[in-house]
Parts: sequence; C-alpha cells; structure tokens
Amino acid sequence: MRFSILLPGIALLTSCQWTRYYTPPPIAQRTVDLALVQKGRRLFAQRCIECHTLPPVWRYQAEDWPQIVNSMAHRAALTSGEREAIIAYILAARAE
Amino acid sequence: MRHFTFLYEAPTSPPGSFELENWLTWARTSEPAHADELAFRHELEIGVTNHFQAGIYFADWAYTHANGGSGFNYSDAALELIYNFSNPVIDPLGLSIYQEFKAGDRLLQWESKIIAQKNLGPLILAYNMTLEAVWEGDDLRKTEGELQQAVGASYELSPRLAAGIEFLHEFVFPHWRDAQAISNIFVGPNVSYRRSNWFVTVTALAQATRTEEEPDFQLRTIFGIGL
Repeated sequence: MRFSILLPGIALLTSCQWTRYYTPPPIAQRTVDLALVQKGRRLFAQRCIECHTLPPVWRYQAEDWPQIVNSMAHRAALTSGEREAIIAYILAARAE
Repeated sequence: MRHFTFLYEAPTSPPGSFELENWLTWARTSEPAHADELAFRHELEIGVTNHFQAGIYFADWAYTHANGGSGFNYSDAALELIYNFSNPVIDPLGLSIYQEFKAGDRLLQWESKIIAQKNLGPLILAYNMTLEAVWEGDDLRKTEGELQQAVGASYELSPRLAAGIEFLHEFVFPHWRDAQAISNIFVGPNVSYRRSNWFVTVTALAQATRTEEEPDFQLRTIFGIGL
C-alpha cells in the first residue's frame, strides 16, 4: 500500500519531464558566445538559488528578463559582466 | 535567505556580500522540571569567494525562566566556515562542508557538518550530518559528544513564500561514551518569507521521543537582512 503511494511520487521527481522543466538546459547553439552562456548558466544556478529556486526560462518574456535580472543583481552581488552572462544564457536557452 | 532554521543549505553567499542574521529560539522543557528559554544569536555572514563563506556569531545569549529563578546569561561567540563543492541544481547533488569553532564562558565547542542538497524545481531537499564535541564547566572537564542527522524539505509556493518540514535525529553521548547514548527525535513544519533584501524563516519542532532535559517544543525564528 505504501509503495503504491510512494512510487508515483518518486517517478515524478526523477522523471525526465521534471528535470527538463526546471534544470537550466545546456546551450548547443553555434550562433552564440558559448563561453559567455556557459558562464551565465553556472552563475544563474549558483547565485540565484541563494534566495529562490530557479524559474523555467520561458516563464517570462524575453524582453522582461534583463529587468528581472537587473532588479536582483545587487542582492546577488553580480557585476555588470556577470549580469550580461546570465541574461545571455537565459535568452539563448529560451531560443533553443 | 534560509528555507530552514535547523538545517543548513549547500549554496554559499555571493562573494563580497554581507548579511546580518538574528536568531531567536524559544524552548520549553517540562521534564524533570518546567523551564522556558529564549536563546538569541547575532550573526554576520560574509561571502568570501564563489564557493566559500564565513560567519561570525558575535554573541549567543539566553534568558531562562524556571521554577528555581530567572535570568540572562551570555554563552559564547563563534566562527563558522562553509566550503561548497557542487551545485544542487546543475550537478547531481549539491555538497558543502561546514566547520564551527565556538568559545565562551566555560564552554568550548567544535562542530563539523556535511551538507547535501538537491533542488527539484520548486522543491528543495536538504540533509545535514553533524558531529559535535563539547567541553564545558569551570575547568572544561564536562565533556559531551553529539551525532545529529537532519532532513528537510521546502516547497516554494511563490518566489517569496516557501513552506516545508524539518526532521532531526540526534544521539547525545555524555562523556563521549556510547554506553550512555541518548536518542532524541524532533519534527515539525517551517515557513519562510522573503522580500527585497530581507527574509524571515520560522520552524516549530516538537519532540517525538520522551527524553528528560530536552525541550518538548522549540520555535526558532531567523530574521536576515542583506547589508
């Protein structure tokens, strides 16, 4: 009985769907600066989770993301270069 | 920002950041005698590098109210160091190690932790294993060890609000001898709220065992503000 309740939950938590929605995807595009977006992905996962979990990158419009990142940049102690890297990563991930 | 008050999370503070945290823990004990304690902690957390943070507890002090009398007492000051190895979002598991050195009036304490964390979307799962050694008393001859395991889950209902549960299992070893080990279990809910540069997190824990001299109930609040 316990397993019948637990198993669907475990399956949901470990399923590809769950990780695909919430783990920031790596970028494979050749049209972007790969070093910049890889840095942005690492910073997005490292600095933003200090305060909150990561939203899926398509939750907000592309044009809204720079303002969202800038509004929290001070709290996350982001330099302007780090801000640019995070925004570049998010926009590239949205476009994939 | 903390999602838990009795557990630590794996991510460390951003380099160059400063956060002031004030802790308040109310503990009610009924066996062998009724007592209430309000314990306070004032901490400054400093992000040193991308993976390393330091914390200074300026003062741990308490107000105790019991049948025998009431009063304030200063306990200690401490230094904590946390090093982060991996990220709970993009790595399979977020891992950090923690070391704390505490010294006070008739107290020396050494505390080590392994912190594990996994973020699954809006769900944060955390695990801490803590080993603690204490020397206390007038000549620091009273010794005690503790092994604690803690598990917590926190679900982010919105970017500002999260709620979850914390579970603690501790083995206390008086005189560092396992023949007299005492086992305690505490469990209870938590809630955290954040806004711009401040947050508040509250956990209520009830004792699920019946150990004398351990609190039946604890309520801990941490209020933090980024400087």
